[in-house]
Amino acid sequence: MELMILVAKVIVALFLVALHLAAFCTWVERKGSALIQDRIGANRSAAYVQTDNLLLKPVAFFLRIMGGLGVINTLVNDAVKAILKEDFVPAGVPKFVHALAPFLAVFPIFLAYAVVPMAPDFEAFGQVIRLQVASLDAGVLFLFAMGSVSVYGVAMAGWSGNNKFSLLGALRASAQMISYELAMGISLVTVILVYGTLDLYEMVNAQGKLWGICYQPLTFLILFTVGMAETKRGPFDLPESESELVAGYFTEYSGMKFLVFWLGEFAEIGLFALLLTILFFGGWNIPFFTYPSNHWIWAIVGFHVLLLKVVFFCVLQIVIRWTLPRFRYDQLMDLGWKILLPLSMLNLVFYAALKLSGGIG
Amino acid sequence: MVPITHYLILALLMFSIGVVGVIVRRNAIVVFMCIELMLNSVNLTFVAFSKQWGNLDGQIAVFFVMVVAAAEAAIGLAIILSVFRAGQSIETSDAAELKF
Amino acid sequence: MAVTFYLMAVLLLLSAVAVITFKNPIYSALALVFNLFVVAGLFATLDAHFIAAVQVVVYAGAIMVLVMFVLMLLSAKLEKASPFSPLYFGAALICGLAFAVTLGLEFDSGFNSAPPASDLQGTVAAVGKVLYSRYVFPFEAASLLLMAAIAGAVVLARRRYRTKEL
Repeated sequence: MELMILVAKVIVALFLVALHLAAFCTWVERKGSALIQDRIGANRSAAYVQTDNLLLKPVAFFLRIMGGLGVINTLVNDAVKAILKEDFVPAGVPKFVHALAPFLAVFPIFLAYAVVPMAPDFEAFGQVIRLQVASLDAGVLFLFAMGSVSVYGVAMAGWSGNNKFSLLGALRASAQMISYELAMGISLVTVILVYGTLDLYEMVNAQGKLWGICYQPLTFLILFTVGMAETKRGPFDLPESESELVAGYFTEYSGMKFLVFWLGEFAEIGLFALLLTILFFGGWNIPFFTYPSNHWIWAIVGFHVLLLKVVFFCVLQIVIRWTLPRFRYDQLMDLGWKILLPLSMLNLVFYAALKLSGGIG
Repeated sequence: MVPITHYLILALLMFSIGVVGVIVRRNAIVVFMCIELMLNSVNLTFVAFSKQWGNLDGQIAVFFVMVVAAAEAAIGLAIILSVFRAGQSIETSDAAELKF
Repeated sequence: MAVTFYLMAVLLLLSAVAVITFKNPIYSALALVFNLFVVAGLFATLDAHFIAAVQVVVYAGAIMVLVMFVLMLLSAKLEKASPFSPLYFGAALICGLAFAVTLGLEFDSGFNSAPPASDLQGTVAAVGKVLYSRYVFPFEAASLLLMAAIAGAVVLARRRYRTKEL
């Protein structure tokens, strides 16, 4: 029983949330970017699906609509293309590291989903179940650890490409991630200080009355910026800037391995959206509403409320990515070291003083 | 429960491997990494003893060892980089002169 | 429980040997990263959860990334592999063995006299309480040390200004 519940939790965290978020982000990236750039975007898949069978007509119609929206293109065509493509490995490459790197880039991100609670506790099978694969005592710390470990995949990918562009991309990526990690760590400490706990579930509970964003807006802004930088997207995509470095650290990857990087990037977007929702936007809490019982139906409602907020932040990140121009490298470093880091330190001091004076908590 | 002596023997072996590494390797960064190996084996004994005696002081000691290791990494790598700039090599045997 | 420990022990020793035997320093660094993860796992088996997390954040996430960064920065210019001399290696091995035996002789049978404390949990709250009460001064000294290290690293890295003075 215990084992089955655990397996169910893993399935929910990994397949229902992580992979779906990644797929959804891919779709938004394709069609949303088309919208922003005044293009049409992928719309041809299944455009000519027709049938004379009356029963199958609605199915064909549905497929045509999905194809027109670009959903089929994202879910099927891209994947099939990537799988069938030649997995090209350049000469003079350390093969083992080259093959290992994509998985090292993705693994910590999917692992981080394990400590994120996804719904309020509910009662089923005669016990209270928490929709969180691992209820760690130090949930935030674990997230932070996984974030800092995900540098390795990127660094190894760039180094094993045996290519100046990918090496430069990897160097840029690791420098960027280390620099922004400081501001991220200090902001997370501020959040921990305000809620007085490291347990993500407790943090959500603490926001039952008032969402965290109301009394720590600056922390949110810093973490949001850092999150954009850590995913190496948006205006922070210097590690893979196509006009300078071909494709940065994954220049030498093709086929399925490239798709794995792609997947990891979008899973990371989803993870950051999830984290922001849980830390600042009340998780599954709805304003002026408390969940009346721990019946499983409320867990499902809470799960979807959470997902709705997460989807909002995913879309926001992608819109920012397609709207803002890329930073110059010195601007990137200045933002990280001279603005975000001092700002997050001042922020921490402010909230520590507030906590001491009894203003919060 | 695994007896503490097994943790200690493990740490001892790891420390010895680190010692051999420091002696054998000439690349300054690898020597640095071998020192990290030794620090880690000591950390392991600290935590094992902390568990054995039911006392958190050992874990605090590990915390401070990590702080020292972080400081050492920053300074050590900066030194290695400046040695490399001066002599175009990070082999320890090449940096035998006191003046470049 | 015991099985995980022995599995981890084997992995730990293998990766430690890999650190000192790989010719390419980047492979050594990767082996060391793996080693550090296994050590974090061993900390977790000893109920030192906070230390395990800090191990991953500080060692694997910061120190080794820095080492990898420097290695990749220099890797294009590091063609020369360390010459391998069996005599040297044998001498080092004897040194290591002598070291191991000397330390091993210090083993006290008293170590195992009492069963390990089962109720000790190295949670964040527990470690934090000790760290900020009994160890406040060492903690502040540690922050001072880190401050000095940052200043030192910056001074060492600012080559251009230093050579101008010379």
